[in-house]
Amino acid sequence: MDEAESHLVASGSSKHQRLRTTSLASQSSSRHRPRTSSHLVRPSSTNSDRHEIVAPIPLRHSALQPSPDRWARSPSPASSRAISPSSSHVGHPPSHKYRLSFSAIAEGEGQGGGQGGAPVEERGGMGKRWVRWMFKNGMREWVVPSALLASALVKWCTGLGSYSGQSTPPMFGDYEAQRHWMELTNHLPLRQWYTYDLQYWGLDYPPLTAYHSWLCGFIGSHVNPAWFALNDSRGFESITSKIFMRTTVLASDYLIYIPALWMFTRIWHAGRSRRTQNLALLTLLFQPALLLIDFGHFQYNSVMLGFTILAINCFIAGYDLVGAVFFTLSLGFKQMALYYAPAVGSYLIGKCVYLGPKEGVQLFLRLAVVTTASFTLLFLPFLPPFAPISAILDPITRIFPFARGIFEDKVANFWCASNVVVKWNHWASRAALVRLSTLFTVIGFLGAAIAPIRAWLRLRGEAGALEGGVPPVIQPVLLHALLNSSISFFLFSFQVHEKTILLPLMPLTLLLSGAPEESTTFKLGVLANNVGVFSMWPLLRRDGQAVPYIALSLLWNRLIGHNPFRVRNASILEIFTLLVYSACASLHLLELVYAPPARYPDLFPVLNVLISTPIFVLLWLWSIKSIIQARWAVGGLTFGEVRERKESLNDRADSEQVEDGVNSAATGWRAPGLAHGLGRRRTASRATSVAGND
Amino acid sequence: MQSTSSEGKTAPASTEKEYAIQPPFSRWAVKFGMSPTEWDILFLSTAFKLLLFPAYRSTDFEVHRNWLAITHSLPISQWYYDTTSEWTLDYPPFFAYFEKILSIPAYIIDPRMVDLNNLNYSAWSVIAYQRTTVIVTELVLGAVLLRFVRGATDPSMQRLISASLFLHPGFLIVDHIHFQYNGFMFGILLFSVLMARNGNKLASGFLFAVLLNFKHIYMYLAPAYFVYLLRAFCMSPQGSILPTRFLSLANAVIIVFVVSLGPFLIMGQIPQLLSRLFPFTRGLNHAYWAPNFWALLTAADRVLLQYVKRFGGEISVNASGVASTSRGLVGDTVFAVLPNIKPVHTFAITVTCQSIFLVKLWRAPNYRSFLTALTLCGYTSFMFGWHVHEKAILLVLVPLSLLAAENYAYFRTFTIASTAGVVSLFPLLFTPAEQAVEVVYSILWAAVTFVPLNRRLYEFPRSLQAVIVGWAENLYLAGFIGLQLFVTVFPILTRELAGDGAEKSWEFLPLMLTSLYCAVGLVWAYLRLAALYLMQ
Repeated sequence: MDEAESHLVASGSSKHQRLRTTSLASQSSSRHRPRTSSHLVRPSSTNSDRHEIVAPIPLRHSALQPSPDRWARSPSPASSRAISPSSSHVGHPPSHKYRLSFSAIAEGEGQGGGQGGAPVEERGGMGKRWVRWMFKNGMREWVVPSALLASALVKWCTGLGSYSGQSTPPMFGDYEAQRHWMELTNHLPLRQWYTYDLQYWGLDYPPLTAYHSWLCGFIGSHVNPAWFALNDSRGFESITSKIFMRTTVLASDYLIYIPALWMFTRIWHAGRSRRTQNLALLTLLFQPALLLIDFGHFQYNSVMLGFTILAINCFIAGYDLVGAVFFTLSLGFKQMALYYAPAVGSYLIGKCVYLGPKEGVQLFLRLAVVTTASFTLLFLPFLPPFAPISAILDPITRIFPFARGIFEDKVANFWCASNVVVKWNHWASRAALVRLSTLFTVIGFLGAAIAPIRAWLRLRGEAGALEGGVPPVIQPVLLHALLNSSISFFLFSFQVHEKTILLPLMPLTLLLSGAPEESTTFKLGVLANNVGVFSMWPLLRRDGQAVPYIALSLLWNRLIGHNPFRVRNASILEIFTLLVYSACASLHLLELVYAPPARYPDLFPVLNVLISTPIFVLLWLWSIKSIIQARWAVGGLTFGEVRERKESLNDRADSEQVEDGVNSAATGWRAPGLAHGLGRRRTASRATSVAGND
Repeated sequence: MQSTSSEGKTAPASTEKEYAIQPPFSRWAVKFGMSPTEWDILFLSTAFKLLLFPAYRSTDFEVHRNWLAITHSLPISQWYYDTTSEWTLDYPPFFAYFEKILSIPAYIIDPRMVDLNNLNYSAWSVIAYQRTTVIVTELVLGAVLLRFVRGATDPSMQRLISASLFLHPGFLIVDHIHFQYNGFMFGILLFSVLMARNGNKLASGFLFAVLLNFKHIYMYLAPAYFVYLLRAFCMSPQGSILPTRFLSLANAVIIVFVVSLGPFLIMGQIPQLLSRLFPFTRGLNHAYWAPNFWALLTAADRVLLQYVKRFGGEISVNASGVASTSRGLVGDTVFAVLPNIKPVHTFAITVTCQSIFLVKLWRAPNYRSFLTALTLCGYTSFMFGWHVHEKAILLVLVPLSLLAAENYAYFRTFTIASTAGVVSLFPLLFTPAEQAVEVVYSILWAAVTFVPLNRRLYEFPRSLQAVIVGWAENLYLAGFIGLQLFVTVFPILTRELAGDGAEKSWEFLPLMLTSLYCAVGLVWAYLRLAALYLMQ
């Protein structure tokens, strides 16, 4: 036997043998690959790959170079990390395309502070690895197209399943509502849109939704008139009509929401590597909550959210008027965008105040004119020349229904959760409850309403801070304010639906995209996102979305690299996260095994609310805390002539003040301070260069 | 023998150590010896397959449900006799045993699932259960593909190929939408191939015998196995027979067949079993022409018939052939102008072509040669076989993928065959929602498979002919965009222009065009591969 084998080796498979030896050699070399890959990549890496490089940290442009003795003047070892020699080099050399963004500076800060953390290779999820792989294989240009195509595919496949109210006559569900609006807008005169047979899914969204429905219905009627025949098509269900409806969602999504996200990653993460921007895009594209509601349950939330994100993009880029138009469109699509209004309003007013009496008033007037004009245009068909003055009341009364209860279904907000203990409906009249909830809401979003104005106020006197877009310090204030105001509305306002959690999740996910994995923003953002999906479970279960619920949550968490089971060196928040997930999982298991007792048919939804609400309250508290921090970052500056002399000391002062004030996380809120310092120095240097040219 | 087998065993151990020294992998991951990227692929594909649960299912879904019911509720003696449903059991016994095992949890989950008379049962429980079994059994394929990476000459290249196989659109379309268990079966086939690569030929033969008893379509590949094992395992390089090895292999195969067929042999049901497995009452072409040589020939006949009708000519026309325009009917395809094809002819052509490759394999009985010959055997059967189903293209594409990284010429062959083969599977799904899924998924798959492979393997053409051929191939590949556009737009256009009825009467045109266009590419890839093999 051995003899024969040796023959074989000698003649037949000598080539094979040779291959095997090389295989062993390559195997041993590959053993070290993961650790050295960063070194291997480096020679081919270009400007945009910079953040991937572990060491050495790239040189800073001389204009941004701190004074050499800066670190030596550091007073205490405790705070020395922020300004240690190594971290002081962190920064981004300006290139021609370079625009200063908060995100870029926060990232640099994060890297300097994260030295004690785990190796870079360990961190990161599927998205990071995939983007890196694509870049390595010379497919960098393919990343965005494939990501968009993949997300379309995932969305489409989510839509293969059932939708809200499928085969449940007589009322069906949200799908039928949308289809019904397409039917009635196409067959009835405009005046009747808000009055026709209100008992059967009367239109209760602002006119832009109605116009959108008209357009979809118009196209659909050309494909097959039976889908939208007046009255006859109620509850119409067929495979092709479902495909058409799903297509309209996907098309609206790709026309508005996806471009908005893409712009956001390019504007908010300006100055960061293309990889990070793409990763942020991936994080946003596959956010499970929105996917499940829009493509599973069936709604067009992405249009409203997309308009708001477009508005944010414009605000950050400095185009306030365009931004105001987009926000008006968002409001005109779904009145829920009002949840963002305190933050947006405060931001814009703050900017007007900042600009001073002349320019500020000018901007204010322009904003007022533009906003009024857009609203007027939206409601034009219901206004006097085209309709009697009373006509405007039809949409208004439909859009703001105060005639319903304080909460409709089981929703994970303050009222529903506390209802377990305090029976609000017995305890107070509806009018009192409306007033109470309004009061709570206002208190809740006070931070969002005040912080942007005060942040802008603090910037006053800084001439030229607006050069090159909005100062990076203001950028996080805007997003945190949006989060704070929307979560306040979700928790405390009147008549909230569980799907409304999508509104706070939007700014939160924007913040979390591209945030370092060790940061609180990331950890809490992921937790809130996952709990947000969990809080919609009763709804999703009714819709038959159980499998997409599992699949999309898994996919997204893997994509962004969230692993709750990584318990070694876990922080308190991580342990808490794991506990929350265990509670969610146990509830699911319980629901699977036991039927609810007859006395408490709503047992599981109520338990769901009781698990979810604390997380949302925590998110609310965190949003208050972070908005205060973000504003402090702006405010912790000295003013006057002193600034000129002590310039190099300023950002250290920022960081210390913030750090003393709040026991911040690893990435900390030194970042905004530093951001401001950098931004100001940049503008200063630019000013001198301009002067030199003159 | 000793050296190779010990090498095969140490390889996984060393990879485990490889991960043990790496902090990035958690203890959990080390247990399975999988890197984060490999986990990623598993997560991604599983999540995506879960989303496909509610997708369209072909009658094969009910076929398999019925088999669950048959194997669960009837004694083994009646498995191959039951005719309660029209979907009688027509797979070999191992598959029946496999269904029997699957039916046990099925009974616990929902007893109505395995009720023999509960025909066309389509509750959520049965959909979720059967779809899950496909995903779970496909892990066999995943595990084998991982083992392929572990001992490969170029692990990064093999990882790419393994990933592309695990995520192959063919499996997605046929298994996860249409519904079959191909992932599991090909897992066994690749396990057998892996054993051949690792030098364990006895195990290779044993596994192939097992596979044959799961699904007899793999008989297409049997000649290559037979020749390879006979020459490389049972004979010394000088050509003398090694009786001990021959006997051990024979024993292994006989044991497999006894376990599989034994019970039926005792009960005297072998003829009944064979009549179920090999129904010889079908036509040359399947309803939708599989994109092979006969599709081209049938098309040529149709064209000639039109020519003869228009311009007369001295050619005798077969009247029954004119009637049989093969409009999607399973039955005999009768040629109108060309001489008729009988099963014997197809068999003769297949055997002749295969024997050419087998002679080559006999002369060079090494692993690479075996793999190519295996692919070509399957390919030949697909090209010239009687009543070939388009799903059989997987028999070609799967082993061909393993060859893709050999060199640029092989890679080009792989690209053309894969593109044509996957597109030829598209008509399997005819509901618009699933058609969108298969097209978009295939585009994504092609992008992440072809582009990196092309980057690594590209060779500058050395002659003018090579440049011209390369151009023609690229043109052909680009033509698929046009084909897909036509297939999408044509039904809409005919309905718009000629009313609802016209859609039905012109239904065959996109199908026929797809079949012919793919057939051109597949025939070309076949010739390419054959030339590459015979000339090396």
